[in-house]
Amino acid sequence: MKHRFTLRADHVAGAAFIVLGVVVFAISGDLPFGRISAPGAGMMPKLMAGLMMAFAAAIMLYPTGPEFGTLEWGDRTHAGLLVLITAIAIACYQPLGFLITMASLVFALLVIVERRGVLPAAAYSVGLTLFAYWLFGKALKAPLERGLFWF
Amino acid sequence: METIDSLMLGFSVALRPDVLWYAFIGCVVGTVVGMLPGIGPLAGISILLPLTFGLNATNAIVMLAGIYYGSQYGGSTTSILLRIPGEAASVMTCIDGNAMARKGRGGAALCIAAVGSFAAGTFGVIMLSLVAPPLAGFALRFGPPEYAALLVLGLVFLAYMSTSSLARTLLMAAFGLLLGTIGIDVMTGHFRYSFDIPELGDGIGIVPVAVGLFGLGEILATPSRGVTTDVQRPKLRELLPSREEWRQSAMPIARGSVLGFVIGIIPGSAHIISSFMSYALERRLSKHPEEFGKGAVAGVAGPESANNAASTGAFVPMLALGLPTGPVTAVLMAALLIHGVPPGPMLVSDHPNVFWGFVASMYVGNLMLLALNLPLVGLFVNMLRIPYAYLYPMIIMFCVIGVYEVNHSIVDVWIMLIMGVVGYGLKKFGFDPAPLVLGLVIAPIFEMSLRQSLIMSDDTWTIFLQRPIALVLLCISAVLLALSAISFVLRKDWRAKLAEVEAAEKS
Repeated sequence: MKHRFTLRADHVAGAAFIVLGVVVFAISGDLPFGRISAPGAGMMPKLMAGLMMAFAAAIMLYPTGPEFGTLEWGDRTHAGLLVLITAIAIACYQPLGFLITMASLVFALLVIVERRGVLPAAAYSVGLTLFAYWLFGKALKAPLERGLFWF
Repeated sequence: METIDSLMLGFSVALRPDVLWYAFIGCVVGTVVGMLPGIGPLAGISILLPLTFGLNATNAIVMLAGIYYGSQYGGSTTSILLRIPGEAASVMTCIDGNAMARKGRGGAALCIAAVGSFAAGTFGVIMLSLVAPPLAGFALRFGPPEYAALLVLGLVFLAYMSTSSLARTLLMAAFGLLLGTIGIDVMTGHFRYSFDIPELGDGIGIVPVAVGLFGLGEILATPSRGVTTDVQRPKLRELLPSREEWRQSAMPIARGSVLGFVIGIIPGSAHIISSFMSYALERRLSKHPEEFGKGAVAGVAGPESANNAASTGAFVPMLALGLPTGPVTAVLMAALLIHGVPPGPMLVSDHPNVFWGFVASMYVGNLMLLALNLPLVGLFVNMLRIPYAYLYPMIIMFCVIGVYEVNHSIVDVWIMLIMGVVGYGLKKFGFDPAPLVLGLVIAPIFEMSLRQSLIMSDDTWTIFLQRPIALVLLCISAVLLALSAISFVLRKDWRAKLAEVEAAEKS
């Protein structure tokens, strides 16, 4: 009797970790493994990459998760937008400083992701940023990024 | 007698106004963190860790621990009133707690949960003060091979007790240990995987990884349309349970406290397992098992007590052995290290003020939580009315600030974002990221112990079998692995039962 192969989430995840392990070995060429009584800088990472690949192979061989096609990705747009907006904010944080970046981050999340009105979003983002500025910068005296405009 | 003297020292520290203040802040923030969706105790502690940098070690650990056990209290509120488990440990409370709420006994369920949590927390702290110092004394006999074997046992225990499969847990732990090798090798000076980024020379920090995986990752996977804020606010007069409800809850609280503390000492998802086991135990012992699922008081009292006692039990190996049993204790351990107080066998003798002040503050903290949670439950419940669409941008902002302020490193913030995406992916594929964080935290200690042991060896791995303590620890690890393999083959695993309960709860 011929068994039809079903691609499961565990197959994909296991393969991803095996690829990661191969990459680790590939970039570890300059790290010596050493001997048992003189372990080198490469011993631990190579042992761990090997173990990771072994466990990844185990979950591929004995998959328990759902079929890959049935995984729910309905939140991917939400996640993608959040990652994109946060990435832009991180890139701007040092050049633009705390106040501008954080207010823009919250405003963008509310308007672009949550489709909230511009005015309530602007009021909330400015208010929240000023509160955080007071809490971290003034009350807790944490040095916040000032950016190009010095505020 | 010595313990009582030491506790007196602890209370002299814990009752100082500044320590009381930080315990109070920790308890309030913890309650809020436990209640709000999209942010758990781990993310809460990680985000707020930088705020403790200006504090001394005692105030810092007291505040962070307050967040941890405060979140257990807060988690029960959403479970009972909203049927939303703030975290996995509250799943069992949802079942009967929410059934009680639907019968109009939500206030009583909250009160029983709070009193049970208080009793269990206090019992846990008493046991902590009795068990941790002798255990730390014993651990002074440990050399590198014993420590390496202990850490292996910790990871195997974690995998054995974890709610996901052994291979998945060990895979995550290996991934965490691998990430922990990034940076300068302290023994040889080699740069490992730093890709000419100077910030990576110090390695990957615990805070960006924990905040990314548990804070941002959770938010990425939680669109606001799926979060409900429809909540019933209980009235103060409804909070007192009847005499019959008190009677029904007394023994489950006592049993849950003992069971939770014992399980809490063992590495793994102790608070989840303890609440599951307590629920199963109470149902088995009950004269009316048919009431479970329909609002049984014991179904709230037992699991809530067990998960709080387990939270306290988890501090025993962390403080006495320097062995974190879960991601939260791992972050707390990192916090102590940042403040120049290494947890482990020397903590009690080298920093008695920190150790005993921390223990005593937990007595005080539990009392504070009881006093705070019952009268202010209405106020806390109001926080659940904040629309999630407005809440998560604030959390993301605090994630960015919190991570950046640790080292003033934008690389750390990028790492947080990457780990957020990794956390989202892991969630989709059913991996628990907790062992990853644990692996990352213990990586430097484990690598150092392993390599020192091997250097001491005669060019052979058998050094771990020649030392009695290390041999015993490794034998226990082997037995656990064998038991796990047998469970897998026979398909008689407690994880399957837990998965059934969780699936039933979700439906």
